[in-house]
Amino acid sequence: MAPQDGLRIETVVIGAGITGLSTALFLARAGREVMVLDRGDPWGESSGGNAGTLSLQVKHPLVLDLMQLSLDLWEAEAGSRNLGYERTGGVRVALSQDEVVMLKKSVALQQRHGYGFDYLEGKALHRAVPWLGPGVLAASLSPRDAFSSPLRCGPQLLRAVSEAGVDIVDHREVQAIEPDGGYRLVTPAGAIRCDIVVIAAGVWSGHISAMLGVELPLMVDVNMLTITEPVDHVLDRVVTHIGGVLSLKQYPNGTCMIGGGWQGKGNPESGTKELDYEQLLHNLRIAARVVPGLRQLRILRSWSGFESVAPDALPVLGRLPGREGVFIATGARGGYSLGPAQGMLLAELITDGHTRLPADSFDPARLV
Amino acid sequence: MKSTDIAIVGAGPAGLAAAREAVESGLSVMLMDDNSQPGGQYFRQLPRQFSRVDRVRHGRAERLFEVLDHPRLHYLPDCVVWDVPEQGILAYAAGTGSGRVRADAIIIAAGATDRPLPFPGWTLPGVITAGGSQNMIKGQAVRPGDDVVVAGNGPLLLVAAMHLISAGATVRAVVEAAPFQRRAWSRLASLSWSPSLLVQALSWRLRLAAARVPFLTGQAVIEAHGAPALEAVSIAPVDHRGGINRASVTTLEADCLVVGNGLAPAVELTRLAGCAHHHDPMLGGWTPRRTKDLETTVPGLYTVGDGAAIGGVELALAEGRMAALAALLQRFPCACLHKRRHNLARHLDRLGRFRTAVADIFAPPETFLELITPETPVCRCENVTLGELGHLAADGAAGMVQLKSTTRLSMGRCQGRFCLATLADLVATRRGIKVADLDWPRFRPPARPVLLGDLLHEEIPPPVLPDDPHLPRGS
Ligand SMILES: Cc1cc2nc3c(=O)[nH]c(=O)nc-3n(C[C@H](O)[C@H](O)[C@H](O)COP(=O)(O)OP(=O)(O)OC[C@H]3O[C@@H](n4cnc5c(N)ncnc54)[C@H](O)[C@@H]3O)c2cc1C
Repeated sequence: MAPQDGLRIETVVIGAGITGLSTALFLARAGREVMVLDRGDPWGESSGGNAGTLSLQVKHPLVLDLMQLSLDLWEAEAGSRNLGYERTGGVRVALSQDEVVMLKKSVALQQRHGYGFDYLEGKALHRAVPWLGPGVLAASLSPRDAFSSPLRCGPQLLRAVSEAGVDIVDHREVQAIEPDGGYRLVTPAGAIRCDIVVIAAGVWSGHISAMLGVELPLMVDVNMLTITEPVDHVLDRVVTHIGGVLSLKQYPNGTCMIGGGWQGKGNPESGTKELDYEQLLHNLRIAARVVPGLRQLRILRSWSGFESVAPDALPVLGRLPGREGVFIATGARGGYSLGPAQGMLLAELITDGHTRLPADSFDPARLV
Repeated sequence: MKSTDIAIVGAGPAGLAAAREAVESGLSVMLMDDNSQPGGQYFRQLPRQFSRVDRVRHGRAERLFEVLDHPRLHYLPDCVVWDVPEQGILAYAAGTGSGRVRADAIIIAAGATDRPLPFPGWTLPGVITAGGSQNMIKGQAVRPGDDVVVAGNGPLLLVAAMHLISAGATVRAVVEAAPFQRRAWSRLASLSWSPSLLVQALSWRLRLAAARVPFLTGQAVIEAHGAPALEAVSIAPVDHRGGINRASVTTLEADCLVVGNGLAPAVELTRLAGCAHHHDPMLGGWTPRRTKDLETTVPGLYTVGDGAAIGGVELALAEGRMAALAALLQRFPCACLHKRRHNLARHLDRLGRFRTAVADIFAPPETFLELITPETPVCRCENVTLGELGHLAADGAAGMVQLKSTTRLSMGRCQGRFCLATLADLVATRRGIKVADLDWPRFRPPARPVLLGDLLHEEIPPPVLPDDPHLPRGS
């Protein structure tokens, strides 16, 4: 679809990833008129190629409430359509004495924030999770941890958003934004005018806010992932790591997805996304240490993708400072899992001026 | 990390010829191949443990294999080269060890893969590819079936049929889709510049005639029937545009159907290395751009044989030598070597012309899409049918990348080798554009599926773990 040059729309969301689509969905359900623009294929960046771990227990304490809300939303939405969502519960493992200390501290801290997770070690752990290797000394367990296969989720979420009455326009890059009372978004196929702009452009969000004269110090992680051949089902929980360097799960089709934020090479400007050989080896080694059975599997594909992370790794969610009518959501570590909740809060902020959860620590103003 | 003057991927005719040229001129070579035995597809050997007295002794193969004992050659069988992590470096993995090797020049001679085409029944037990049939006979001394139909397109069908006959099978028919004519052979005969190849081509044809094997041209298999395995094969006339005349169907009983629709160069490694490619159906589809010296657009990276462009064994042998010579000339630019290269280039030209002539004679119908019914699986790993794809591709809006991620086509064990070409044909036809002009999905490592445990041998510096699991790790 090619929107008319000069067309005026109430709200334009820039970016058709999990964040932009969730925001659009909740805005549309609140009766708002919304159009989503994407420079490429919708769901074609981070949201389409990420590990899909939805883990409560790995979250920063300041994000636990947001994550719990997000899991509620994932589950509610998955009730009516197949988002590749599965609530398996999760284990967060520790592989050395130092890591055991870190894990215990983290569990205690989460307890103080009102989230209790079981802690198991030694024999008790290996009885509970028999496929873990002997190198795993201890783990915390969360019954809420889950995953969502991005490939299954994408088409279904896109359909839900369209059905809610939102236009999703692909291959329409926003190249400049000019204030004109509202805003005029310049794209290669003509300009679109709107009252409200939502920046949900993943790693390009800083680039867009800069079009409005606001510089945000957002960072880019280039995360690598590896998928194995399909085999019989063994891994009945998602696996994460206290140091943040492993994520592992087995999808219903039997393939195992291995990640952990090991850094590949590339940058969003050129679009290059490459592997780093040594980092990949570290990733596979730690995976094989935690689940030795993985050694017997063939790997089919490794790739890297971009993740936008704020310097403090907390969501950058709220009003763009000094720009009336411009909102942004990006920068949270694990933005896929948080997508639905970030979308809900942003939609509430736009329609009601306030949010159901406190969002002060996410205010973009902290970064400028 | 290991280092060597020349790293060669593939111990078939092209790779072995390159290796010999290089070691005889004083260079060190590391030669890696994922088979346990050297020889590649053409000179495929029986496993060492086999004690058959009638082991075929191929004089040319024996001579090629001599290089394997050369002190400057390091040969790694059962070894998958799975990535090109940086320019001039290959990543390899074998049960005996894995790691990286740095080389002044890299020669990729990775051979070809069968180009399967879906049609109703193509996934039935008893339906195999021409390459698969050759492997069973040459590499395992196993006869794929007793009553065999050989079908598809291209000279490989004749070779496959001949091997089946030698293995004791009855070949019911060779079904060639090209609207081949008798005068084709006389046209071939006019190509006086390659008599040895010509003799060979004619001998295939004559041997088939002697065995009274019907050679049906302008026909294609429209369905393979049977439960639980193949029992019969239906064939029908096909015109040069791919139209099928379903009013005149013949059914042949068979317990094995060997399908060959030509070969496609295994370009995974040149893709991963970032070489530029172009699409040329005559050369097997995607093929790396190469200079006369067979160097790709990545300096120091050469590619030869069927792994670069389908051309057969003679061309593979000559190209292997050429690439090694070119790499050698980079080091020792002397008149003698220049002269050698000049002569070799003329030889390559002649072989190239023969290839063009053969391709011309066997020119297949423009498309085989009409053979595929909506229920036919196009991607057998993820079980995606034409119906499912056709529905999504109906308005022509969805590209290959999008269709791949919505259906999971090409994400299974075959990594797309069996299905991407069909998807491309489908999308290009719907859009009325050329296959070459489509956006293809990115190629990802590993070049071939590789055991995770096999990748872990190389000693590398210990990792630096993040202090805080949440904070950014990139820049
Ligand atoms: C390999 C990897 C693994 C990960 N694993 C996990 C995980 O297990 N769990 C988890 O919770 N998170 C994970 N993440 C992080 C997560 O993927 C991201 O935080 C999340 O997907 C971000 O979603 P988004 O909608 O903000 O951005 P994106 O999905 O990147 O969407 C942004 C969109 O904006 C579009 N856009 C950009 N510029 C413009 C423009 N000028 N005009 C129009 N459109 C534009 C882009 O084309 C893109 O489609 C992972 C990330 C990576 C890379």
